[in-house]
Amino acid sequence: MSTSDLTRPTAPSLLGAARRVFELSFGEMLWSRRTIFMALVVGGPVLLAVIFRVVESFGMPAMRVNGAPVAGASIFGVMIWMLYLRFIVPVLGVFYGTALMADEVEDKTLTYLFTRPIPRGAVLLGKYLAYLACTSLVVLPSVMLSYFLVVPFGQVASTFTSLLLDLAILGLGLAVYGAVFAYVGARLKRPLVSGLIFAFGWEQLALALPGYLRQFTVAHYLQALVPHALPSDSALSLIQGLFRQTPGATVAVSWLAVFLIGFLWLAMRTVSRREYVLEQ
Amino acid sequence: MTSKTRYFVLTAFGILALGLTTGLVASLAGGLPVALTRAAGPDDLSYVPSQAVAVAYANVQEVMASELRQRLKKLEPDTADRDDFETKTGVNIERDIDSVVAAMLTGAEGADHDSRPLVVARGRFDQVRIEGLAREHGGAIEEYQGVRVVSHSGDGHTMALGFIESGAVAVGSVAAVRGAIDAKRSGRNVLSNTELMRLVGDLDSSNAWVVGRFDAMAGKAGLPSELQSKVPALSWFSAAGHLNGGITGTFKAEAKDDEAATNLRDMLRGVMAMARLQAGDKPAMRAMVDSLQLGGEGKTVAVAFSVPAEMFDALEAMKSKSERRPADIR
Repeated sequence: MSTSDLTRPTAPSLLGAARRVFELSFGEMLWSRRTIFMALVVGGPVLLAVIFRVVESFGMPAMRVNGAPVAGASIFGVMIWMLYLRFIVPVLGVFYGTALMADEVEDKTLTYLFTRPIPRGAVLLGKYLAYLACTSLVVLPSVMLSYFLVVPFGQVASTFTSLLLDLAILGLGLAVYGAVFAYVGARLKRPLVSGLIFAFGWEQLALALPGYLRQFTVAHYLQALVPHALPSDSALSLIQGLFRQTPGATVAVSWLAVFLIGFLWLAMRTVSRREYVLEQ
Repeated sequence: MTSKTRYFVLTAFGILALGLTTGLVASLAGGLPVALTRAAGPDDLSYVPSQAVAVAYANVQEVMASELRQRLKKLEPDTADRDDFETKTGVNIERDIDSVVAAMLTGAEGADHDSRPLVVARGRFDQVRIEGLAREHGGAIEEYQGVRVVSHSGDGHTMALGFIESGAVAVGSVAAVRGAIDAKRSGRNVLSNTELMRLVGDLDSSNAWVVGRFDAMAGKAGLPSELQSKVPALSWFSAAGHLNGGITGTFKAEAKDDEAATNLRDMLRGVMAMARLQAGDKPAMRAMVDSLQLGGEGKTVAVAFSVPAEMFDALEAMKSKSERRPADIR
């Protein structure tokens, strides 16, 4: 046995390598320019919640429907639907997920990652985990703050369970959308445009049409888990509500898990096999 | 991980941990400590003694300004009594009263204040005029805990009115009015009844509501014992309504156990089915019956209803018909 055999370090496992990439990427992702956009996006609901609380503290109901003041818990439900589930989560998934590899390609730093003795898929996995940690640590506290600002303290006991569900659903949504758009980012040339078309074009259309097309969307399964009532804020929402066929919770969670694992695996496989040509 | 990143992560986890802990404590304890919560319901609940078995509230201004009230005014036979009341007291019910809190109090059995109502009204009252009116009719004026109380005896009962604060009066028996003053000063009032206040909190957005103990009120209402034994074992009930063009409301009852609640729901389903049969081809009646929604789970039974404006159109038509008929006969 030669001395070199004793001293040669073993290559880290997939998870070990992913953890190293995560540690490297988390700080970079958190303090990137994209995070300013994320802060503005998740800060919006918190600002609305502050305004709501201030208006309510003056004894004026902040929101009325048919002359009847709307309770805080209902307003929180509307915020979860309208702001977080339909906009913030898909947007963050698109902007961050599609950029996982694209940023490294654009900055021409991909080479440094690929020359390391780690599986290429671990690079994507580590970056995906960094995205998930980064977005969860920004979005979920924002939901928590909005909840305690909007829902009266007297109703916390009765609505806490639905808050826990909301947090879990939003976390799951970030994970699934991130996986889907990580694959889109790894596979396609213009992933951001494709991602936006998917999230705000295809999903909205498929949910409004009757039939089986809705099953090819993430939103169909995610919205099935939400404990709040679907608001009818626009003609599209009304049409979507009309054709809404809600799958059971177990079915929804199962399909979301399939999407998550499936698209993540596809993304890792694509990164492993694709030949990246960096423009000079 | 840089220190900046570390602080961010700790802050985010801190917000999540604090929120989850607060929510968990609230869930397990049935609510947050009173100091952290703004008490549900109107501030005048602080005048209702803790032994109240039922509390009601009405936002008189909103009710009077509603479209429904304007329609019902046309159906009133005459306003002579109301005009007489205004002339004597200077109080116009539609204009001068903003809100009313009413309570049914219990006291020692056989005592004069046993099961007496208490009404706390907020608005604009001419204290001098009311005191003058009381003196004219042989009433007495005293001061209790710094509050002017006007009392008058007649038909074996003594009624009292206390000017409890600027813009608010308490009306009831002498003991009830004194009890209201004591409840506010001592803090021993209905706000400490967590069960009742929990129900009030759910109704806070309505412009008229009532919450009470069904079993206590059924006994005081003097229902025959045979009927009381047949009524499902209910503990709390609440009813709330919102008046605008019509009336929308909910009625909730809490049964003693799940079985009683299931039986009550079954009974209500039967009543609703019979109502649908009776509604037949009357559109307004049909609309109201169709609006009935039965719900609730566990020990709670809830019925939501909506009386549409068309019902009141039908009432107006009936009144017009009855007024025309004597002329036709002539």
